[in-house]
Formats: sequence, C-alpha cells, structure tokens
Amino acid sequence: MFKNQEMEINLGPQHPSTHGVLRVKLRLDGETITHCRPMIGYLHRGVEKICENQTFFQGQVWTDRMDYCSAVANNLGWAEANEKLFGITVPRRAQYIRTLLNEFNRLASHLIWLATHALDIGAMTVFLYAFREREDILDMNEAFCGSRLTTTAFRIGGLREDLPPGFEKLVKKFLAKFPTCLEEYENLLNENRIWKKRTVGVAKLSAEDAIAMGVTGPVLRAAGVPYDIRKAFPYAAYAEMDFEVPTRTEADTYARYLVRMAEMRQSARIIQQCMDGMPEGPVMAKLPKILKAEVNEVYHATEAPKGELGYYLVGEKGSGNPYRFHVRAPGFINLQSLPKMAEGGLIADIVAAIGTLDIVLGEIDR
Amino acid sequence: MTEPVPQIPEVPAAPAGPYVYDYAASPQRQIVMPKTVPLPSLKTYQAEVVAAAAADEAKWVKMQADFETAKTKAEAEGKDAPKPPVRPVPRKDDNDMKTPWPQEAKDADLLLLQERLGGKVEETFEQAGELTCQVSKDAILEALQLCRADAGLNYEMLADQSATHYPAATGFAFSVVYHLTSISRRKRLRLRILVPEGFTPESACAVYPGANWMEREIYDMLGIRFANHPDMTRILCPEDWEGYPLRKDYPVVGWGQRDISFREDRGGRLDLIAQQKAGQLGINLKQPKAE
Repeated sequence: MFKNQEMEINLGPQHPSTHGVLRVKLRLDGETITHCRPMIGYLHRGVEKICENQTFFQGQVWTDRMDYCSAVANNLGWAEANEKLFGITVPRRAQYIRTLLNEFNRLASHLIWLATHALDIGAMTVFLYAFREREDILDMNEAFCGSRLTTTAFRIGGLREDLPPGFEKLVKKFLAKFPTCLEEYENLLNENRIWKKRTVGVAKLSAEDAIAMGVTGPVLRAAGVPYDIRKAFPYAAYAEMDFEVPTRTEADTYARYLVRMAEMRQSARIIQQCMDGMPEGPVMAKLPKILKAEVNEVYHATEAPKGELGYYLVGEKGSGNPYRFHVRAPGFINLQSLPKMAEGGLIADIVAAIGTLDIVLGEIDR
Repeated sequence: MTEPVPQIPEVPAAPAGPYVYDYAASPQRQIVMPKTVPLPSLKTYQAEVVAAAAADEAKWVKMQADFETAKTKAEAEGKDAPKPPVRPVPRKDDNDMKTPWPQEAKDADLLLLQERLGGKVEETFEQAGELTCQVSKDAILEALQLCRADAGLNYEMLADQSATHYPAATGFAFSVVYHLTSISRRKRLRLRILVPEGFTPESACAVYPGANWMEREIYDMLGIRFANHPDMTRILCPEDWEGYPLRKDYPVVGWGQRDISFREDRGGRLDLIAQQKAGQLGINLKQPKAE
C-alpha cells in the first residue's frame, strides 16, 4: 500500500518564492531534494535580437527592462560598453554622478532583495521597513531623470542632464537616516532565532564550486573570494573611491546576508565620497550626432548588485547598429549553481536558496 | 421661413487600411543580410590600411596627371593656367572620440599563449585594451586547459561565452568567443574560434563547468552544437522551437507573432479582424457551446 518511491514536483513557474517565472523541477525523497533542474525562458523577449536591429542609442531602454530592480546599473554597463567600443572619454563630473546613482541603485536592489528574501523565509516586518527606504531612493531617481524604475538614466558619452537643484539635500537627508535603518533591519534579523535556523548552514556553495560555475557578486564574496569588479577592474569613478570589499568564509545563506548588509554600508560611504568630491564641469562628451562604428569587439563588465554584468558588443564598419549585442547576465550564470546548492537539502530550503541568489528573471531570460 | 433641419453628417467609413499585414510585405519581416564580415582582426586592419594608403596615393597621382594635361591644354590654347592641385588632408573631427584600432600583441599572456600553442594560434592582437587570441577550432579545449592550469596564466573563471553569426564570410559561419577572467592576476583574455556551419566544437564544460548554460544558450540562439556537452538542449526557447533566432537570416518579428498593425486600427476593428483571421485559420474564437 505504501510504496517507497521518489516524488517529482514542480516549483513554479507561478510561485511567489521564485521571484518571477522560474520553474524548478524537483525530485524528492521524502523532504530531501535528490535532483533539481531549473527551467527558464518564460520571460524571453529576444532583447539581444531587438538591440541588434536598433541603433546604438536605442538599446538602452531594453537594458532597463532586463534587471528591473537595478536599471541604473544596467544603464551604466551599457553606456560604458558603448563608450569602450567608440573610444569615448566621459567627463569627470558625469563619472561621479554615474557612480553616485549606481550606488543608490545598489542600495535599492539590496533592499528589495532583503525585503523579499526575508518575506520568503517568514519575516514580514523587514519587508515593510526595507520598502520604506527604497521609496526614498526611487524618489531620487525620479528627481534625476523623471522615472522611478526603468530609469534610462545615462547617455553614451555622459548624461543628458546635470543633477537637479536640491538633490544634495535629498542625499544628505537619506544618508543621515540610513545607518539607523540598517541597524533596524539587523536588530530584527541578526540574532533572530528563526532567521538563523533558516539561513545558517543552508544552501552552501564553496569557493571552488562558485569560481568553477562562474558565480560572481555577493554569493562569491560570501565564500571568501574578494572579487569585486569595482576594485579589480575599476570603472566609472571607482578608482578614486575609498571602500572595502566585505567577505565572509561561511559560504551559506546567512553569510550572504551579512555580506550584503556590509555592502550597503560601503555603498553609503561611496555616496558620501561622491557628494564630497563632486567635480565641476560638463556632463556630456562632445560627440557627433550619429555614431558609426568601426570593426571592433568589446566585452565590458561592471559590478551590478547581483554580480558581474557584462556587455559584449561587435561593431560593423559604417553601421549605426551593433552587429552583435550580447548580455552576460549575472542572474543567468548564478542560477546555474542552484542544483549544487539545493541538492541534498530540504525542500523548504530551496526557497532560501533561490532568495539568496537574488535572481531577477527579466535579466535571466532577456 | 422654417429653419433648415441640421443634417447629421454622414459618418465616413473607416479607411480601408492594410489592417492585416501580408507576412511577406511586413517591413519587420524583411531580412537584410549583412554584406560585410565585421570580424575584428589585426591582419585585416593592416591590409585595409595599406589598401587605403594605396588608393589615396593613386588618387593624388591622378590629380597631378589631370593637372598636367589641363595645364598643357591651357598653354596651347593661350588661356590662364589652372590652379595646381592641393593634396587633401584628412579632416580632424573635434570631439572626444578616439577609435581604438587593433594593435600588435605585446602583452605577456598573449606571447606565452603563442609560445605554448605554436601553430595552433591563428592570430593575437590587442584592441581597446582587450587581449584577443584566436586559436584553431580543433585546439580550443587545449587552449582552455592551458589557460586554466598554467601557473603563468591561471585564468580561473569563464566569465562569458558567446557567438556571432557571419553569413557573408567564406570559410566560416560563426565566431565563438570565450571571455576568461583571472581573479588572482586581475586580467581578462578573449579566446576566439571560427567555426563553419555544422561543425561541433569541443565543449568547455570539462574545464569550466559554468559553460554549461552558456553553451546551451549558444545552441538555442545560433544553432552551434558542442561536442561532449552534458545536456545539449534548448534553454530559453521552447523545445519545439524552429530556427535559431540570433542568426542573421531570422526575421526580427518571429513566426507566429501578431500580424495586425495596431497603428492602422481605427474604430476598434481588431476584434473583427481577429475573428476573420481566426476564421481563415480555422480557429474557433467564439465561446464554445455548452454541451
């Protein structure tokens, strides 16, 4: 009557804990996962194909819609890849403003990660607190470029507009209260027994495995590898910034939580430095109205909140469109390691594993 | 006199626009195949520079010869001598752009690869601060193993793998690029192979397990199969998808997408058209009758 057999179930594609439309095929032995296969593509819009058929400038709106939680970081990577392709020098003030907005974006992205990750595990209060602070950052996005989420913040060669008047006040107000907010979250979670039971030792991924799988970002740093592209291959104004790369060695979900919390503190530091050392000058390079490429291929990687975001562009001589537009999405590569994290663990822990990877299906499927 | 009864103007009929697009006529379905092969290469660039200089010189010689004939003609006819030609100077653009051209490989990593792999290296060059090493398509696994294991190279991570379709090229159809990162040495390297249609390059999964999904994506999008790959299936498109979307001969608007122009939709005719189209295709859009 009772057979001892494995059970196959689908997690998703419609499930709140999958952060979008991710389907995970699981094989269970009791409550233990014996086999895990993530299946993606439900949000595939063909961004690469569309961008290849548009001009260099038009591709930006598609980058907003890849990782919609960190549109500014996507814009930055896109703009810098194009600038590398054409050999454009960006004015220093534009670099600083880009760095500033990018760090705000990192805060927003980490806050939304913290909110949803905690919600998945069962801590509702953090969700509301984190969204409160994220709202302020979105207000600043709105003050700068008019939109809150899909920002289209930058242009090839610099910025369309300088910072709006009164922006410093907003930043100052935010920076004054943000450390207290971080303490609030940590008071709620750091020594919370339920939170620790659900995260400590869960979904481990060793440094060797992470490097072999190409995993980057906080997941790699929580395994003890201090690889941050802002330090290793500085771009924008990061070479002039003084900040640390927080790492942990436990390589579990709790360590990733601590790394991201420490990263938020560093981001606030970078924002302060940007405001203090903001140079004067133009924000846009002198450029011809139409950009025509030469034969060239570039791969430009930036440290997006989720990991290494790379753009691979191929230019065709005399053409205003990129011949090839490829995005190395951090979530796409990081999600590959989900089976390694989840197999052998409990089914309840796969929710923590998906949350700790901080995936956004918009960039995974593109 | 009675006031004239105001006439209700007749509602003009909706213009007979092309509501339903002809598949073949839709501009987004027109495939414009590329005519050039934008494969960055030092050899091609050098050849182009030499050819451009020769063309420039020939033009100058012709201008001088034209001037001489015009001068002798004018002298014979007793007219004023024409102005001597001025060699045109290339125009300098006043902007912040400096095009990065391919340059000779000087980096130690490229020289080391050249030394270790010998004849299997087809080309090495630097462009825009990036190192490129093109190896023979059969030697890619060997090159990857060397980059991973050699103490002098030590590229631990495969950051990205991608491919490009070159339909206008002769001798190959795709380039596959591998972007390697050395975390310890803070360096990046691009390995490149050129593969013809139907060729199955060796999978990088044996050296870098992270290549698994990237190669699946390349197979899905461009149709390059990799040999000895653990799971060579489609990843983004459904399993039964036809064609490879990122090839240049694939239309931007794919098959099976809506072929109704929404710009032409005046008066909310879309429903009607959808019914008509469905009728043509034999699909019943109406509510099924309760049995």
